[in-house]
Amino acid sequence: MKTLLKTVTVAGVLMGSTAAVAQDVPRVGAAVYGLQAEFMQIWAAALEEHPAVTEGVVDITIFDGRYDALVQQEQFETMITQGFDAIIFVPIDIEAGAAAVEAAHAAGIPVVGSNTRVNSDLLLSYVGSDDVVSGRMQAEIVLEQIGCEGGVVILEGPIGQSAQIERLEGNMQALAECPDVTVLEQQTANWSRGEAQTLMENWLTRHGDNIQGVIGQNDEMALGAIEAIRAAGLDVNDFAISGIDGVTDALLAVQAGDMASILQDGAAQAQGALDVALAAVIEGYEPMSAIWEQYEDMPWNAGQDAEYNVPWTPVTLDNVEDLLSMRQ
Amino acid sequence: MQPLLEVRGLTKSFGGVAALSDGRFTLQPGSVHALCGGNGAGKSTFLTIVMGIQQRDSGTIRVKGRDVTFARPSDALDAGISIIEQELSPVPAMSVAENIYLGREPVGLLGRVDFRRMNRDAQALLDQLHFNISARRLMMDLTVAELQLVEIAKALSYNAEIIIMDEPTSALGEAEADQLFAAVARLKEQGKGIIYVSHRLSEIFGIADTYTVFRDGRFIDSGAVADVTRDRLIEMIVGRPLTEEFAKTNTPTDETVFTLRGLNTAGWVRDVSLDLRRGEIVALYGLMGSGRSEIFERLFGLGSDEGGEITLFGERVHLSTPKEAIDRGLAFVTEDRKGSGLNLMASVRDNICMARLDELSPLGVMRRRREVSAAAQMIEAFGIRTPNDRIDVSGLSGGNQQKVVLGKWFLTQPKILLLDEPTRGVDVGAKREIYRVMSEFAQGGGAVIMVSSETDEVLGMADRVVVMRDGRVSGEVARKDMSAAALLHLAA
Amino acid sequence: MNTKAASSQGYKALAADFGQKYGILMALVLVCVILSFLSEFFLTQRNITNVLRQASVNGILAIGMTFVILTRGIDLSVGSVAALAGVVAASLATTSTTAGVDGAPHAVAIALGAGILAGIAAGWVNGVLVAYFNVPAFVTTLGMLSAARGLTLLYSGGRPVPSLTPEFRFIGTGDILGIPMPIILFGLVFLLAYLVLSATRFGRHVYAAGGNPHAARVSGINVKRVRMLVYIISGGLAGLAGMVLAARTGSALPQAGVAFELDAIAAVVIGGTSLSGGVGRVSGTLLGALLISVVNNGLDLMGVQSFYQQIVKGMLIVGAVMLDQARHKHA
Repeated sequence: MKTLLKTVTVAGVLMGSTAAVAQDVPRVGAAVYGLQAEFMQIWAAALEEHPAVTEGVVDITIFDGRYDALVQQEQFETMITQGFDAIIFVPIDIEAGAAAVEAAHAAGIPVVGSNTRVNSDLLLSYVGSDDVVSGRMQAEIVLEQIGCEGGVVILEGPIGQSAQIERLEGNMQALAECPDVTVLEQQTANWSRGEAQTLMENWLTRHGDNIQGVIGQNDEMALGAIEAIRAAGLDVNDFAISGIDGVTDALLAVQAGDMASILQDGAAQAQGALDVALAAVIEGYEPMSAIWEQYEDMPWNAGQDAEYNVPWTPVTLDNVEDLLSMRQ
Repeated sequence: MQPLLEVRGLTKSFGGVAALSDGRFTLQPGSVHALCGGNGAGKSTFLTIVMGIQQRDSGTIRVKGRDVTFARPSDALDAGISIIEQELSPVPAMSVAENIYLGREPVGLLGRVDFRRMNRDAQALLDQLHFNISARRLMMDLTVAELQLVEIAKALSYNAEIIIMDEPTSALGEAEADQLFAAVARLKEQGKGIIYVSHRLSEIFGIADTYTVFRDGRFIDSGAVADVTRDRLIEMIVGRPLTEEFAKTNTPTDETVFTLRGLNTAGWVRDVSLDLRRGEIVALYGLMGSGRSEIFERLFGLGSDEGGEITLFGERVHLSTPKEAIDRGLAFVTEDRKGSGLNLMASVRDNICMARLDELSPLGVMRRRREVSAAAQMIEAFGIRTPNDRIDVSGLSGGNQQKVVLGKWFLTQPKILLLDEPTRGVDVGAKREIYRVMSEFAQGGGAVIMVSSETDEVLGMADRVVVMRDGRVSGEVARKDMSAAALLHLAA
Repeated sequence: MNTKAASSQGYKALAADFGQKYGILMALVLVCVILSFLSEFFLTQRNITNVLRQASVNGILAIGMTFVILTRGIDLSVGSVAALAGVVAASLATTSTTAGVDGAPHAVAIALGAGILAGIAAGWVNGVLVAYFNVPAFVTTLGMLSAARGLTLLYSGGRPVPSLTPEFRFIGTGDILGIPMPIILFGLVFLLAYLVLSATRFGRHVYAAGGNPHAARVSGINVKRVRMLVYIISGGLAGLAGMVLAARTGSALPQAGVAFELDAIAAVVIGGTSLSGGVGRVSGTLLGALLISVVNNGLDLMGVQSFYQQIVKGMLIVGAVMLDQARHKHA
């Protein structure tokens, strides 16, 4: 709630009086595909809590793309017109975002991708997490639990989205190593808890005891599967279930021992992207976010790398308390 | 002279039931031929076959001596047959010229519509017919009568020789109707043949040269209008001799039950005063737009209250909602049966019960048995011809629909009946029934205010006529002084 | 039309009428028979329970929608209103403090009451605008679709409200005598709606106001009030549906219910209620909602891709309206 209000206020101030903002502080715009889901809320909150922002080194504005590629395109035009110094871009669509990046590039504004890829070689850099890796990790957790044999079902994201494609690729890499495991069902539930619940109910009817594992390509769908299992009067502990993202509900479920989740560190993606963007704008800039110390596998390299992969963190009983306390 | 249209032995059955078993008709050029018959006489079936909408089972149709078969409406149009439908369907946001040439706009270079030519041609057509309408005006700005004139012009633009007019005056006032009749006379002069369908006998005697009567799907008789009496024509349409067309049996008393003093409404109807006595039928007479219907709407809580006093049985009342009016014993048979009288989606029973729901549902729960008996009572009382009370009211004929409306209101046990054009669009037989009901209601202690555009009806039924002009009462005529001339003098 | 002509077309009209009245029931039975051959699981008790439970949220919304459509209206806001009621109720029934709202568990009655009230309030706004300000229903409820969603996100901070109390979750996951609560609620709502529409004065008012508002008004029916009330009913039921949804999924999601209005309208239309008002039955809506659910379930059981489900639903909607048109032609 607070986050949202702050975003609105910042945007409002900026729209109203762009001239009032002093020229000496660089302005960075963040165009995100939409702020309705928890993950992007966390991403946006982390951006605003970046030390460079709180200490007044940079002035940031977050634009809510409202899940519409066209809206994002228009927001890019606004930022170009207002002469922003850099743009952080989380596109809704891997293809449609390319034109926007091209326009900003032509205007000499560096664009740093974050979280979601865009099909353009004009990006200055990309700070995200490799979905193939997470897909592989989540499948491995499930396969290990069921002893590399038996039946599993896969709940997919919206067909054609980059996260769905890449996570499925990772799922399949892991499955290839367990030839005794059968994929009983594989359908999209569009990242939705309700849709996943319906699907899982019907699958339980059809396959009964043969389902031992559930690979939910995001946490919401894994949570939906858990509800379906409960509604069918079955024991959740008899199933190996995993999701991806580490949303609050999933953390609680991990705490209860119902599922496994893999945290996508949206906060690190946001803060990392801002550091990379600032390195392009301010000469001799040193990263201010704590994430570079947190993730030793991701070296800063003077902010010059074309791609930064924020590592995935499996949520375990050991770290879940800490993660939950960060969500307060 | 060779007839324009000659039809012999036309038959048409639907699922084994004959709708038309002997259709005969002869139309001479330069004449107006009235096609008469009650509802269900086979007129509609006859016309739909002549227009190519339906196919005949047997019989011949000759146009100017040539045998023709119409597979579709455009065939009939090509043969020179056009219809002015009862319910017009103009494109409101288009101009008169665009409507006349709809679908066959003159095109110029590169397929562009040649508006100049279209407007010129349309204007020439309208002028030739002496219609005082600009081809550039929008259809939505025209009156109903003007729309009909445009429709006639459109028919002629197809080079129609035979023009069918189906109840063309049903939505017109007297003055507008005269405008239409003038146009019909002009068409006659040009040698066109007009098939004129109307329930209004006075119109038939006013403008038709010849008549043909259908009854029960059969040809009954044909001849010159000059050679037939009104009573004889009614007898042929109804199929039995009639004693009197207007069955007036009521006698007014001296007891005043309803008074209006200085009533204003609708922003322009001013200072209307009126007294109504028990047992009396008062007619509100006037041209369309003289304020008659507005007074009814005000009395039923549908119009705006702009001052004035209403007294009902000695008590001051406001009548600000329909419910209050109904509770006070008023009933309002509106002019537009389909628009505001009936719920065409619902059954006969539901329609009859519609104004009486409160009494039929103590504590809000409907009592089915009471509904059934109420409906049965009204069906019986008004002789509504319907197979049962569960069928949709839209399946009944116009006359029976009107009786359902009356049934709905009589169920509320009204003391004062407001009737707005009560016999519009109903056949001669049903009209008589409605007159009988009015008379008996008044005789039984009720009182009636009736709005009518049909002078005959007013002269036949009213004990007193209050004439309206431009939103004010322009005079009052007692029954003994009534004449068409006297009424028109006050109205115009 | 000639009365003779009309009566002679009686057979066709009768057949069309029969098709209209029992067509959906026949279609439902037919689909069930086919599915029971194609999948051995279809007729199992567990699967039947699943189908009914899956139909319940859409069914409750569709029943409210039936009232609105009967009066020639439309309520596009039910999905958003359901989400709003879900988060409002959940915020009063959560044990979590990690949510975007500072929730606290209250007596379940308070939470449920607040959810219903949120729905009724949204419906009241819709109703007043449509009935008394003459704003077209499509526009009014389109506005509410957006506004209620915004309110939901604002209220919840865009985050789900998790960890609902077991008492609250009972309406989604509990059962009475082995019958799951969503099914019981759906059944109760249906029964009540059926009685209201078929046996009460208000029911007659709804049909009359939809069949011909002018005639209804002249007949002393307060058409504006009837219009307002149907939106309130729709809003209240959307509130109930939203809470059932939250209780079922275990967490109130601010993004819940997107495009639910379309499924609700589909159930009403498949059930034979005319979009032009005045004609229709809530029993048709019940069958419509079940048919949608059965088809989805059957295709899942056969392992058919979900894309096909959307195609089949589209065909169902159009087919139902064609049936409706056929009837009007012969009436």
